[in-house]
Parts: sequence; C-alpha cells; structure tokens
Amino acid sequence: MTTATTRRPRPRQARTAWWKTATGLVLTAVMLFPVYWMLNVSLTRDQDMRKSPPDLFPVHGTLEGYRKVLDEQLPYLGTSLVIGLGTVVLTVALAAPAGYALAHLRPRGGGVIGFLFLVAQMIPGIIMAMGFYAFYLSLGLLQSVPGLIVADSTLAVPFAVLIFTAFMSGIPEELLQAARTDGAGPLRTFWSIVLPMSRNAVVTVSLFAFLWSWSDFVFASTLANGGAHEPITLGIYHYIGNNNQEWNAIMATAVVASLPATVILVLAQRYVAAGVTAGAVKD
Amino acid sequence: MNRTTGRRLTAVALTVVALATGTTACSSGGSSSAKGDDSGTYTLWDPYPQFAKDSAWAKLLDGCGSKAGVKVERTAFDTSDLTNKVLLAAQQDNSPDVLIVDNPVVSTLAEAGVLTTTDDNKLDTSKVDPNLLAAGQSGGKTYGTPIGANTLALYYNKEVLKAAGVDVASIKDWQSLTAALEKVKKAGKKGITFSAIGTEEGSFQFLPWFWGSGAKLTELDSAQGTSALSLWTDWLKKGYAPNSVINNTQTTSWQEFASGDYAFAENGTWQLANADKAGFDYGVLPIPASSGGNAAAPTGGEFVTVPVQGDTGRYATAQKLVTCLTSTENLYATDTTLSYVAPTSEVQDKQIAADAELKPWVEAVKAAKGRTSDDLGTKYPKISEQMWKAVQSALSGAQSPEDALGKAQSAVK
Amino acid sequence: MNHTTQLPDRRSARAGTGVATAAPPPAPARARRRPTSQQWAAWAFLAPVTLYLVLFYAYPLYRNIDLSLRHYTVRSFVQGDAPFTGLKNYETVFDDPTFAPALVHTVVFTAVCLVFQYVIGLALAVFFNQHFRLSATLRALFLVPWLLPLIVSASTWSWMLNSDSGIVNAALNAVGIGPVNWLTSPSWSLTSVIIANIWIGVPFNLVVLHSGLQSIPHSLYEAAALDGAGAWRRFWNITFPLLRPVSAITLLLGLVYTLKVFDIIWIMTKGGPADSSTTFATWSYRLGFGNLLPSFGPGAAVGNLLVVAALVFGLVYLRVQRKQYAS
Repeated sequence: MTTATTRRPRPRQARTAWWKTATGLVLTAVMLFPVYWMLNVSLTRDQDMRKSPPDLFPVHGTLEGYRKVLDEQLPYLGTSLVIGLGTVVLTVALAAPAGYALAHLRPRGGGVIGFLFLVAQMIPGIIMAMGFYAFYLSLGLLQSVPGLIVADSTLAVPFAVLIFTAFMSGIPEELLQAARTDGAGPLRTFWSIVLPMSRNAVVTVSLFAFLWSWSDFVFASTLANGGAHEPITLGIYHYIGNNNQEWNAIMATAVVASLPATVILVLAQRYVAAGVTAGAVKD
Repeated sequence: MNRTTGRRLTAVALTVVALATGTTACSSGGSSSAKGDDSGTYTLWDPYPQFAKDSAWAKLLDGCGSKAGVKVERTAFDTSDLTNKVLLAAQQDNSPDVLIVDNPVVSTLAEAGVLTTTDDNKLDTSKVDPNLLAAGQSGGKTYGTPIGANTLALYYNKEVLKAAGVDVASIKDWQSLTAALEKVKKAGKKGITFSAIGTEEGSFQFLPWFWGSGAKLTELDSAQGTSALSLWTDWLKKGYAPNSVINNTQTTSWQEFASGDYAFAENGTWQLANADKAGFDYGVLPIPASSGGNAAAPTGGEFVTVPVQGDTGRYATAQKLVTCLTSTENLYATDTTLSYVAPTSEVQDKQIAADAELKPWVEAVKAAKGRTSDDLGTKYPKISEQMWKAVQSALSGAQSPEDALGKAQSAVK
Repeated sequence: MNHTTQLPDRRSARAGTGVATAAPPPAPARARRRPTSQQWAAWAFLAPVTLYLVLFYAYPLYRNIDLSLRHYTVRSFVQGDAPFTGLKNYETVFDDPTFAPALVHTVVFTAVCLVFQYVIGLALAVFFNQHFRLSATLRALFLVPWLLPLIVSASTWSWMLNSDSGIVNAALNAVGIGPVNWLTSPSWSLTSVIIANIWIGVPFNLVVLHSGLQSIPHSLYEAAALDGAGAWRRFWNITFPLLRPVSAITLLLGLVYTLKVFDIIWIMTKGGPADSSTTFATWSYRLGFGNLLPSFGPGAAVGNLLVVAALVFGLVYLRVQRKQYAS
C-alpha cells in the first residue's frame, strides 16, 4: 500500500500500474469465466440449454430459475449460515489452544498429533460420513444442526491446527517469557497475550472453516437429509429428480448461495492477507 | 476490545456444546431414530427430493398416515444415494418402516435381508401387471409392489423429419431407422441422441437395443449383442449421433433434443411434461427391434417395500400405509405427478381416458421387461456394470464392439 | 508410525507443523529440559483436540481398515458377520486390470495438478503482491470458485467442455480448430479433469503463497535492487528461498487434497470412458458406492492405499524438514 502511494507521482510508474490493473482484470476474467458460465446457464431456457453453438449471453433469458429459488431456498441459506458460523467457533475453540501448545509449550509427542491430523485428512469423506452416521444414530444427533457443525468442523480442524501453530510460533518467545516472569500461568498467557496477538490467524482460520462448511455436501446428505434444518447444498438436490434435473434452478441456487458468501469474502480479504502472513515466514 | 471478543467467543462455544449435549439428552430415540419410543411415528424414505414439504406427494403421505392413525415422517434422498443409506441404516438396525426404492435395487436389498416378503408384510399384489412385479421378485418371493412404471421409447421431432422427407411409418427396424438418420443428416439436421454414460443410466438406455437384437444378459458377447453395440458405434462414427452421448445423462440427452436440432431422442415417460414445453411438434415411437417389431424396453420406476424391523408388530401399520399409497385413486394421482404409467390395468385405463397421449407409453410398459427379471437378481448389477463399461469403450473408440463385449463377458464370468 | 515417535521430541513437535520450523530455533538449554508443569499445561491445551481426534477420526479409520480386511457382501454388511479374510481384498485390488491404469492416472493427476496449481498460484501471488489499483479486490474475487459446491463447479466444467454444445469447442471452432472430445475421448478425459481441478486448486495456492510473500521484508528487495539485481534474480535469490517453508506446506496440503479428489472426476467423467480418467479415489468410490451392488471390501482397500500414500509423503516431508532444520 505504502509503496504504491509513494511512487505514484512518477508517470512511468503510473503507466505500469495501469497496465497491471488491466492484466489483473484479464486474469480475473479468465479465472471467473466458469462462474459467469454458471450465471449464464441459470438464466437460460430449457430448450436453449444444449444449443450448438451456445449463446454467450442469455439472449432469451428467463428468471424462472430464480423465482423458484427465492420461493423455496431462503430458509436453507439461513441454516447454512448458522452451521457455517458454528463450525467457525468450534474450529477456533479447538485449534487455537492446540496451536499454542504445539508452538510454545512443546509437549512430548505433540508432533505425532500433527502428523496424525495429516493422515486423518486422507480418510475418504464418505467413510467419515458413515462413521458419523453410526455414531450420531446412537447419540440421537442425526438431522441436528449441532451434529452437522461438529461433522463439518472435521474438514477444517486439521488445517486450523497447522495454521495456528505456524502463526503462534511467530510470536516472540521473549514476550511470553516476560509474561511468565510476571507470574502469568499458561492459561493467562494464552488468553491475554497469544490469542489477541493471533487475531489475524483467527480470521484466516474462520474464513476457511466457513468456506468449507458452506460448500460441504457429503456430511449434509448423510447426516442432515430430511431434517427440519437442511443446508443450502442439500437445497440444490431438490432440483435433481430421479430422472430429471432442473439445471437453471440448480445454477440459480448456486448463484444465490454464493452471493452472501462473496460479500463476506471480499470484506474479510484484507484480514486474510494480513492474517496468514504474520507467522508464516519469519525474517 | 480483544478481551470482550474473546469472552463472547467462549460464550458462544459453550452454548454450542450445551446445545449439543442438550440435544443428546432429549432427542434420544426421537425424530432421527426410526424406532423411537414414540410408536405413533412411522418413517418413510423415498427417492423424490424434487417433491417439497408442501407438495401433493407429501400431503398424500400425511393423509395415509392419519388414515392409519399414525404420523408419517418422510425423508427424501437422491436416488443414487438411497441404496447406501438403506444398507447403512439396516446395519445400524434403523431401517425406515416404508421404503420406496428404484426397482433394480430391490433384489440387492432382498439379498441383503433388508426387505420383508409379501408373505410377512401381507401386501396384496394381485392387481399388479406381472411383468412389472417381476422386477421385485427373486427366488420365488415378492418383495414389494410397484408405485408406478416408466420405460423408454423414441421421441421424434416432426418438423425435422418432415424437412428431411422421412415418413415415421417407414421406421420398422434398425435398418430403416438408420436410413432415416442418414436422410436427416443429409438434410443438415442431427440424427439421434441418447445416454450412454458410465452408470446404470447407460445400461438402462442400451438395453432396448440389446434385447431388441435378441441377445440375453447372460451372454453379453453373443453375435446379437455385438450387433446392438455396433449399431450405436456406427451411428457415432457416421455422425448420426453426437459424440457427447458417451457422457450424456438422460437429462443432458433430453436437453439436446429440446434444442430442436435432433430428429430422435431415446428417453422416458417422465419427459412428457417437458416435451409439451419444448415448442415443437413431437411424436413417440416404440423402439424397433433389430428385424422388425418392437424391442422390449427395461422397466423403470420404483417399488414400495417394507424393510425388516426388530419389532414385527410394526408391519401391520406399514402394510396399511403401503396399501393406502397404492390404492387405485392414490396411484392415479401419484403417477400423474411423476409422469409414470400405473402398474395396474385399472389405473392405466383411467390414465388413458384422461390423456390419450399416454397410450403408446402404456403399451410400451406392458411390453417392458424388468432388468433383474429372468431370475438374474443380484447378478444383474455386475452384468450391468460390465455392459456400460463395454458400451463406453466401444463408443469412445478404445475397443471394437466385439472386444469390448468379450472382455465384459469374461469379467462377469 | 514408529519412525515418527522416534524423532527427537522437540523436533517432531514442530516439524509436524511445517511452517513453524521457519521460526528461530529456541535456546537449546530450555528446549532440552522442560519442566513437568509445562508438560501438563501443554497437554491440557492439547486435550480437547486430541479427544476430538480420537472421537471423530479414529472410528472411521478403524472402520475403513476393518472393511478392507473382511469379505463383505451386502448381506454380511447388514448382518455384521463378515468373515475375516486378511489381505485378500488387497490381493483382489492388485490383480484387478484397473489397478495399473488407476495408479498411473493417480500419479499423473496428482503431479500435474500440483505443479500447475503451485506455479500458477505462485505467479499470480507474485503478480498480485505488487500494489496496483484493484489488486486486493481482484485477489478476493479469485476465491469465488471456492464458494461453489463442487457439484455445481464440476457440472459447469462438463457443460463448457461438452463435445457438441460446449463453449470451449465453439471457441476452438471460431479459430479454426476442429472439435476436441474433451470428456468422451480416452486420450483427452484425463486432461480435462486435470484442467478443472487446477482451476479449483489455484485460489488456495494463491492465498497461502500470497500471504507468505507479504511477510518477506521489503528491505531485502531494496538492498538487492541497490546491488543491481534484476526482477528475475530477485525472485530466485530472495523470494523463492524465503518462501520455501510456506511452499512446502502448500505443496503438502495440496498433495493431500489432490490425492483424494473424487467429486470433480466423478461428476465430469465417472472415471471413464474406458477407465481413462480413473484414479484411486474414484475407483474406491465406484467399488464401494458407484454400483447397484456395492463391494465395500475392495473399495475400502483402495481407500487405505491412499491413506498409506499420504503417510509416506508425510514422512518424506518430515525428513526434508529435519534436514533443513539440521543444516
């Protein structure tokens, strides 16, 4: 940021910057083309879906898909939001203390935990889901929002432990030493020094946890199907019938579902950038 | 500032934990468990996620429930997901009281010991057409009753055929069909679209041609079987069918037909409602057999079954529910919404009386054949998997039809 | 497993967390002699996550191993009385004609995706690390693909790559290149799913690498610029070496995520045609769930082979970390 402002006065620099913005725009456009295509399909009439060659713009656009989605899908969005936020809270609550312990308290065998998380991530999602199903059935947690929150958090916790450990090892040992000299126990140190200093890490982890739970489908379909509260990814399945799929409604749901999340993403972006940084690379 | 955020965070975390434990405490054996203490609640699983909570289908279930004096709790699954869910639930001794499931799955579930026979559950299947009921029979036992049936036929675009100078009446066998495709292509239009995807859908679509050649599922690599696969392969090579069929689902294939460029599409009863929306004049033609006459098409559609319960006392009410769902007037309503053909002659007549366009479909369903019939039972899934693989290999040019089917047959053994 | 536990404690505690090793090594004396009270505290902090690990990962893993060691039919799956057959399922899998192609495809898919995701991610990260108008917003937009459920993004790709009505072939046609059967020809299907998967993986690499870049002190670049080093030399001499820990963790996570990719391939090609895009992940799914009659045993066996692969790479990673640490 600072470099840009200090250098701006020089005309040559300004021209390069303009050129870079243009390149950036082109790259983003290329990257987001499939997203545009999804938007395009969501507005397309059934009979034009497989037109050859396809229309670049929805010339005979129809809002039928959206009408359907807005009529039927809004409650699902709410559920997804609650589940996403719940996952964030749970993930942070579990992973932050673990990160602190691994980064600064050096427990015997702590490395094995980190390693096990790596391996745990390789268990196929559907097997995880089957395990949860058997587990939840005996606990009576099937089709419940808390159950889905716990299941979704398994997607993010390993990653979160990793990131927290990385960030927290960036906090100078001297600072914690000083706190200890002042008589602060590990809990106080964690609460009043480590956690506040890792605010960015919390934001980063939260963002990823939210994204993963937002787009989760496997757990939702195994554990929440048919319940009173279903997330938006299941909502999409209502347009996939036994023999027939309503593609413009499916795509419209995806568009509607990604809007609130996009807003969150753009808002959180500045924190993320600053966030992952802090502990990742130490000079 | 940070402190307060932190404190709030813990508070929320605690609430979540409290909620979680709270739910554990009070909902054990509640809504999610099929065998709750609450014996007035009966669970039903269906593969119709497209029917929302306020749909006619859901209302019908509620109605049948109150008639039987119980509350029906319905869960809709994506059909490809349902088999696993049922097996998993049965393993955990948590099967639904009533299960509606795709017909070729019935024999697999019966083999797994998940379903009760009609001897146990006292369902009356006497009115059902025998060829439809066969899909739910295995080893001389019947495991359920069809809720409706569908099958495949050829939809054709009248305008395209007219422009190409093809008379539909001339299409009697494979040769005349291929000749028609050639004419269509010469006229600058596209020939035929179908679905040859690498799943059960692909086998479902290939079967009318396979059976129409006179081949049997027990011998995939017979000369007749090869001729059916060669027919498809040649269509692709000559450009009568698009290359995309290899990856087409039945929906994708329908979308191609709906674009108005194609002369023919192999598709099912369920597309009738969409066909009226397509914006062109269409007709329906039974799929011809190799040397004339109509090919047997496979039956599609679901069966209503009663899974095994620990508490056998539940069967009586489950039977009441199923009987209500498959009563004449309810079948009529359900099959109309699903765009299916009813499984009993009585309701079929009623359907034709209401909509004459259904006539060719009713005839096709009467001539159709279950995939697991011929006492194939659980052998069918293995055969089917090898069959769709062979179709994919041949159409994509990886292997010749002979080699592909030969390999498939040796894999089935 | 033994290998890990034998690692010196201090090292393994940090090595498992990759990036952490970039932090300055703590004073050796303190690290060697840890007060027991600190050990208690450490484990108190780790307790929730350890319990979590045992509760939610151990059972599925146990279950997957158990599935792979028994002969399951649908009947015995439900009744729970499948006979123990040892490594028979693994033998079945090794003897299967699908094994060799699936192995090759898995290696090619993983390696190519990883390399491209990383290189493109890094290039974009370097590019967006320069400050220009809209750079932050555009970077945020790069994350949008992540918001889409995989069923939607994969379906969109298969839509675009459709042989007859896909936009990609329409574009190729416009510049005079004949249609490519992206999803339906055995020679292109693997390429197609790789392209789609790279597209999905780039944002993750971009975000993590970008944040790594941001923390490289600007003073280093200024000093190098004064020494007359060009942009390219600065990248190779400063950016790349300093980014190594972040790169390592990005690649490792990328590897784990890529190995288990199945939804994209399943939705786009179902592993076909003729197994030409079958990887271990899709094969495992097809065996266990993609058929009317599931064969759970071999499906789980293939899944476990993937777990073993991740284990091996994890160990390799620990090794590399240790070497770096020692030097």
